[in-house]
Amino acid sequence: MQHLAKLGVLNLEANFEEMNCKRLTMRKTQRHVCAWIALCFLVGQGCTQVWWWNNEPIPGTFRLDAQLEWNAMVTELGDVNVDHLGHTLRLDNLQMYISEMELRAENGEWEPIGDVALLDFSVLKPHILAPVPAGEYDAIRFGVGLPSEINTDMDPASYPNDHPLSVPGSAGMFWTWSSGYVFVKYEGKFAAEPGQPLLEPLSYHCGTDGSFRSVMLEFEEPLLIQSRELTVQELVFDAALALVGAADSIDIVADPITHNASGTTLGGRIMDLIDDAWSLR
Amino acid sequence: MMRSRQLHQQTWILWILVLACLTSCERCQEAECEGADCNPAATPYVLDIPPFFPPMDIPADNPLTVEGVHLGRMLFWEKSLSQDGSMSCGSCHLPEHGFSDPSPYSTGITGAQGLRNAMALINIGWASNYFWDGRGASLEEQILEPVSHPDEMAMPWPDAVAQLQASTEPVDYPNLFLKAFGTAEINSELTTKAIAQFLRTMISADSKFDQWRRGETSLSDEEFAGYEIFLREGGDPETTPGGQFGGDCFHCHGEAGLQFSDYLFRNNGLDSTFVNDAGLAGVTGMPLDSGRFKTPTLRNVSLTAPYMHDGRFTTLEEVLDHYNTGGVPSSTIDPFMKYTTGGLALSPVQKTHLLAFLETLTDTSFIAASQFQDPH
Repeated sequence: MQHLAKLGVLNLEANFEEMNCKRLTMRKTQRHVCAWIALCFLVGQGCTQVWWWNNEPIPGTFRLDAQLEWNAMVTELGDVNVDHLGHTLRLDNLQMYISEMELRAENGEWEPIGDVALLDFSVLKPHILAPVPAGEYDAIRFGVGLPSEINTDMDPASYPNDHPLSVPGSAGMFWTWSSGYVFVKYEGKFAAEPGQPLLEPLSYHCGTDGSFRSVMLEFEEPLLIQSRELTVQELVFDAALALVGAADSIDIVADPITHNASGTTLGGRIMDLIDDAWSLR
Repeated sequence: MMRSRQLHQQTWILWILVLACLTSCERCQEAECEGADCNPAATPYVLDIPPFFPPMDIPADNPLTVEGVHLGRMLFWEKSLSQDGSMSCGSCHLPEHGFSDPSPYSTGITGAQGLRNAMALINIGWASNYFWDGRGASLEEQILEPVSHPDEMAMPWPDAVAQLQASTEPVDYPNLFLKAFGTAEINSELTTKAIAQFLRTMISADSKFDQWRRGETSLSDEEFAGYEIFLREGGDPETTPGGQFGGDCFHCHGEAGLQFSDYLFRNNGLDSTFVNDAGLAGVTGMPLDSGRFKTPTLRNVSLTAPYMHDGRFTTLEEVLDHYNTGGVPSSTIDPFMKYTTGGLALSPVQKTHLLAFLETLTDTSFIAASQFQDPH
């Protein structure tokens, strides 16, 4: 009896295996059909510069690579540099929000390429990636910091976690609900006297609605973005120019710190200098 | 006319393609479910995200299920996961201490001690880069280590798995794994997944501060004054532009998402050299990371003494004194530390207010919650 029961179980198991096998075979066939349809679609679409269902031009991909420099020389966080007054310093952390990124098309209209991005220069090549309509563009503009409508009175917890303004996405870059986000963190250490170790803290945290700045840069030659092609543009931030410009300069020994959740004169000056620290390559 | 007909035909083809893709997607989801260790028959666990908290990122290959969370709780408190059967995870993460260890260094089954204080298990589902030095990339990965570490539970994983596999009384683990993951074949991966599921349910969101944020109660004058100090920039505005004579706590223990930590790594000026414990630099190999440790949450901070990665401070007063004097200079000390200006220089009254505020982060319902206690 036991033996028969065992046989029955074995038969049931065999049936189950057979059914499972058929199910898997059907699924495989279905996947193959789908794959063929997709392949035919891609091959057909691959020959044209427009979407076949609406004749709209297929966009290209634009990548904006941020490059950190110090006095026009490529640098990295942790490198030791010398500022305009001869002070030795080391940048340990450089993060900033940029927003409302747009490219100017031939017809003068601005094409949006992104709402908000957090440029973190501890990452090897911070970049922004966006689909952009094919065409020629002659300028780029963006804001340094965040426009007031998204800076304050917004709860970081309301964003999905992969958003740059979310709780994990803005880690270390959020003050409070009323004061909003830190727009720029420019941190490091400097030597109090020449030859001394780099122990003095340099800490510029700039933010508040009044610190928002706009940058507009024109390309030397029009930037051509082609359908389905990747176009890369380098955006250079010269960290030395955040301390000295045509109209102002900052002595890091005299003014090593500003945390302007409530807005400070020094914070505003740094943001003005940062405004002019960008270039295209 | 021709063009219109062509467009019409193209639209039909598009619809057929969309349908084909939808069917295909449904299959993919099934395939993912087969590939991962999830059991379609298990009951999804609905995680209640508290107000003002961000969404919790739960790994796609370890969705929470009622059966998985239950199994995780059993395993978290399972002493047979240690070599001599004397220790469970819960032995160093005691509920009455905010699921942390009141000893500076936890003592393993051999009597050996580690180098760091056991971290509190509070809202850990929102944390990232686990351990004080961030060497655990995921919660599941973090759980692997204490079981087999010779200074902790000292149980090689193959032995731990064999122990669970053979267990039918008093807990039938093969059956619990079957219910949770659809297989009675136990392995270390499934074991850590179950414990991770349980830990993700350990949410503390009912402290007096939470109740105040929800408008259910009010803070005393002293507590509110402490909250203001917590949120104000440190330093004298004469010497520190933007200084507000505050506690400067919010930079690292910010209230964004009510986490009271940004889970980043910082050198908060405890030492001038890092020979004994390099912190994050021991993981990354980067000199700039020397002496940097993970910022812990301040939730239940009054229960989680001793403080700092090595448990060197036994009271919160000592912690405030450390920040009040500014810490020890080093080449990697965090710029938030105010050592150059002699620390925060909070007055005794301000410190009392700040302590009163920190007490409002205590959540007694969390530590007493029956679903987190030892079920054995």
